[in-house]
Amino acid sequence: MITELIITSTIKITLVIIVILTGVAYSVYAERRISALIQNRIGPNRVGPAGLLQPIADVLKLLLKEDIVPAKATKPIHTLAPMISIFVALCTIAVVPFGDSIHLFSRDIRLQIADVNIGILYILALTSLGVYGITLSGWSSNNKYSLFGGLRSSAQMISYELSMGLSVVGVILMTGSLSLQDIVLHQFGWKWNIILQPIGFITFLVAAFAETNRAPFDLPEAEPELVGGYHTEYSSMKFALFFLAEYANMIVSSTVIVTLFLGGWQFPYLQTFGLPPLVVSLLQVFTFVIKVVAMIVFFIWVRWSIPRFRYDQLMNLGWKVMLPLALANIVITALLIAIFRS
Amino acid sequence: MNYYEIIFYVFAVLTVVSAGVVVFSRNIIYSAFALLFTFTGVAGIYVLLNADFIAITQLLIYVGGIMILLIFGVMLTTNVTNVEITTQTLKALPATIVVAIVSALLVSTMVSTKWAVKDPISVESTTINQIGELLLTKYLLPFEIASIVLLIAMMGAAFLARKN
Amino acid sequence: MLTQQILDGLSKFYPETILSVTILVIVFVELFFKKKTRVSGWIAMAGLAAAMLFTFLQVNIPAQTIFFQMVAVDPFSYFFKVLLILSGFLIVLFTFLSDEIRSSEFKTQEYYALLIALTLGGFLMASSVNLLMMYLALELSSLSSYVLAGYFKKSNRSSEAALKYVIYGGVSSGLMLFGISLIYGICGSLDMFAISAYLSANPVNLITLLIAIFLMLAGFGYKISAVPFHFWTPDVYEGSPMPVTALLSVSSKAAGFAMLIRFFLVAFQNAGHPTITTEGLHQYITLPGLHWPEVIAVIAVATMTLGNVVAIWQDNLKRLLAYSSIAQAGYMLLAFVVVSPQGISAMLTYLAVYLFMNLGAFFAAILISNKYKTENIEEMKGIGYRSPLLCVSMAVFMLSLSGIPMTAGFIGKFYIFSALINNGYIWLAIIGLMNSVVSLYYYIKILKNMFLIRPQGDTGAVSFGAGYSVLLLALAIPTIVLGIFFGPLTKFAEYSVQIFGLK
Repeated sequence: MITELIITSTIKITLVIIVILTGVAYSVYAERRISALIQNRIGPNRVGPAGLLQPIADVLKLLLKEDIVPAKATKPIHTLAPMISIFVALCTIAVVPFGDSIHLFSRDIRLQIADVNIGILYILALTSLGVYGITLSGWSSNNKYSLFGGLRSSAQMISYELSMGLSVVGVILMTGSLSLQDIVLHQFGWKWNIILQPIGFITFLVAAFAETNRAPFDLPEAEPELVGGYHTEYSSMKFALFFLAEYANMIVSSTVIVTLFLGGWQFPYLQTFGLPPLVVSLLQVFTFVIKVVAMIVFFIWVRWSIPRFRYDQLMNLGWKVMLPLALANIVITALLIAIFRS
Repeated sequence: MNYYEIIFYVFAVLTVVSAGVVVFSRNIIYSAFALLFTFTGVAGIYVLLNADFIAITQLLIYVGGIMILLIFGVMLTTNVTNVEITTQTLKALPATIVVAIVSALLVSTMVSTKWAVKDPISVESTTINQIGELLLTKYLLPFEIASIVLLIAMMGAAFLARKN
Repeated sequence: MLTQQILDGLSKFYPETILSVTILVIVFVELFFKKKTRVSGWIAMAGLAAAMLFTFLQVNIPAQTIFFQMVAVDPFSYFFKVLLILSGFLIVLFTFLSDEIRSSEFKTQEYYALLIALTLGGFLMASSVNLLMMYLALELSSLSSYVLAGYFKKSNRSSEAALKYVIYGGVSSGLMLFGISLIYGICGSLDMFAISAYLSANPVNLITLLIAIFLMLAGFGYKISAVPFHFWTPDVYEGSPMPVTALLSVSSKAAGFAMLIRFFLVAFQNAGHPTITTEGLHQYITLPGLHWPEVIAVIAVATMTLGNVVAIWQDNLKRLLAYSSIAQAGYMLLAFVVVSPQGISAMLTYLAVYLFMNLGAFFAAILISNKYKTENIEEMKGIGYRSPLLCVSMAVFMLSLSGIPMTAGFIGKFYIFSALINNGYIWLAIIGLMNSVVSLYYYIKILKNMFLIRPQGDTGAVSFGAGYSVLLLALAIPTIVLGIFFGPLTKFAEYSVQIFGLK
């Protein structure tokens, strides 16, 4: 029993990690192509057909580069920091359901690595750990630009964690469960949470952008003022890990947003079509992937369309707009639920 | 040894060893980092005790919130003001004697006392529902008072930190 | 059913609810009146008055616990609520009248909210019957007093006071939590009644229990500044703004005593035994073999002796009053050694009397520092000739603190010592008396400087506004009247001995 669990889990974990890492590589490619499109350029198109092999070339280049550690850096922490970043980014995916369950080899396999009862809290907890990678890398590099980048991003992430956590509460109130699978199951038909929880969706989306340090909230690595931010002093594969973590975070955030607000793997009214179960399962996974890809494209689109915030604007937005909005959302949701239940 | 015990010992060793580093490290930054692992180890033990909610709260609040601020404080004071903060051993002999007596006393009570051990109860899949219900019934008053305590702490901190 | 219980609890929780609402109102009002105004002070007063009114409505309520055995509403907590509100009220007035606080750097801001929070914490400390609740109440009052102690951010002494207070407070509440966890480990409950039931029915490891008691005493001792948890007292009292010092010396001490009494008597009672012993004396029956009264006796003797002896060497009036308040805590603890209603009522009487005389002494000290800009006793030579009313009142407070007959302090001490003698603790009574004699020295020293030495240099009369005089008299007159006409007070104290859960 437990052996079987371990085997299936290992297979699932391996598969998911491979998918995510490939996803990371190709979202970098997508980012470059889409930015080129937006800026009316061509983008990478030389390596392979339409530049599709570009990510592989990039990875090879980074692997073969010299690994430089600054002389005055605190070495163990300098090495540890990128690992924390990527670890946190990849762990989060464990609770995200990418499908209902699939009937294979005469057993039902749930399409989720771990159906944790408190999935949302797990995600929030891991997100809050993500700060460490950045803070520690900034500090251990012994470079003032890095330190400032690290400090900024920690302050930013701590501030937005609050509104992130609070904007989920509305969803939890409606579902009555913290399990992500339950939340997805609750969004059947047209009842996606984006329709029922519009304010929660907006605050969560903004917070997710801030948490992933993506533009317009990419202050930690604001090139004009901070050189490269927290990863100024990183090179070679350690730098690649940060790069990986950033995109992995983006993908994971997209999956979480899709799960919480966009119906997860639900394809509206799919059950009414009378398709065979295996096809239904595969279609659901496919739906999920499509939604996530759309979300990623949205992330990239925003980055190349909206200018960066100033630091005080960012803090004001976080504490004076997002937090009250999220709080108001909780109150309103609770009131509405109380009214409609009785 | 079954899986449960193995996992328990992993977390127990993590907790105890890192707690040792917290105490014995000369460099206060390493102490702060080690504390991070202590908290994480404790969270792991909570999971083993089926206290999923508390485990996650431990991670979310202690590891993800409080420790960050602590490390912030330590980092800023050492890196920005150039003040070397190290811990020292003072009055080693009397301290050793006191520590020996206290720990002997604590260990002996730990071993000899008949603790009120509750019978294992079957837990539902998650403790969250029960916690929520208890917070709004039996522990309603402590819950509310805790919010006032936090409000006062926040007001006080804001007052002390603010420039006039 | 549950809702009914909660609503019922709420209906007996009005005073605390009002105080909580007052805190919130003050916070909001401060947002709109940013300038220095007294608005929030008046709101605080109104809140206290309303809380007082609703407390009075509880006077004849039968003793009971509310909110699922979290807090008790009984005559005992009623007594402390009245005491705390009275003290809070006087402190607000002190704040209005203190020059120190009206000086330019001070803005009221959160001051009054914190003051009310401290009072609320005291309310809960006096009525908690659950260790969890007790700890939260303790933290509420501690947190607000840390900030209040450091309220003059720009003054080094004030910041130092706050820092010391926080560190001592943190350590002792940590120790107390450890003690609570041991007790929980032994008994499997945080409810005081459940603890007493478990301890009465099951044999437990007394050494572990004693360790737990010592650890708990760290928390209590820190609140009432008993030896050896008193180290913060002189520095904090000296550095804090004077009204805050007065508040700490009365409100938080009284609340600490309330918590101490309730915890020891309720949690360590021998459940199911009548309270009248064979000798016909009323006595609370404690667990056999657990010698906490002896521990208290040692602490009491150490506290008052240390307080009195060190006070002799003090030149600074605030430090002197700090050590004097340590000594006073020792006297009150003495009464607790007699584990009987008589001892507790003596203690309550003393606390009520202490409220007037100690707040009076601090108010007089505030006025002296307002007008003469000094806290040093040596610089107070001859001021008795320059402000007679102030110094005569000061004399009343000093004599009362030392326990001279015809003052309220004498009545308090008289009840404590007679309780001790009645119950066979004659040696404790003798130590207490000797201590009172020692304390006379430093109280009289102040009076000597004020009256027996002619003023040098400026000898003009220094007078005060009418408000100051009225408040001074409002404190001095009860100190004398209660020394002569003490019947109602002792009746009230005897009535207030009824603690819920004790027969």
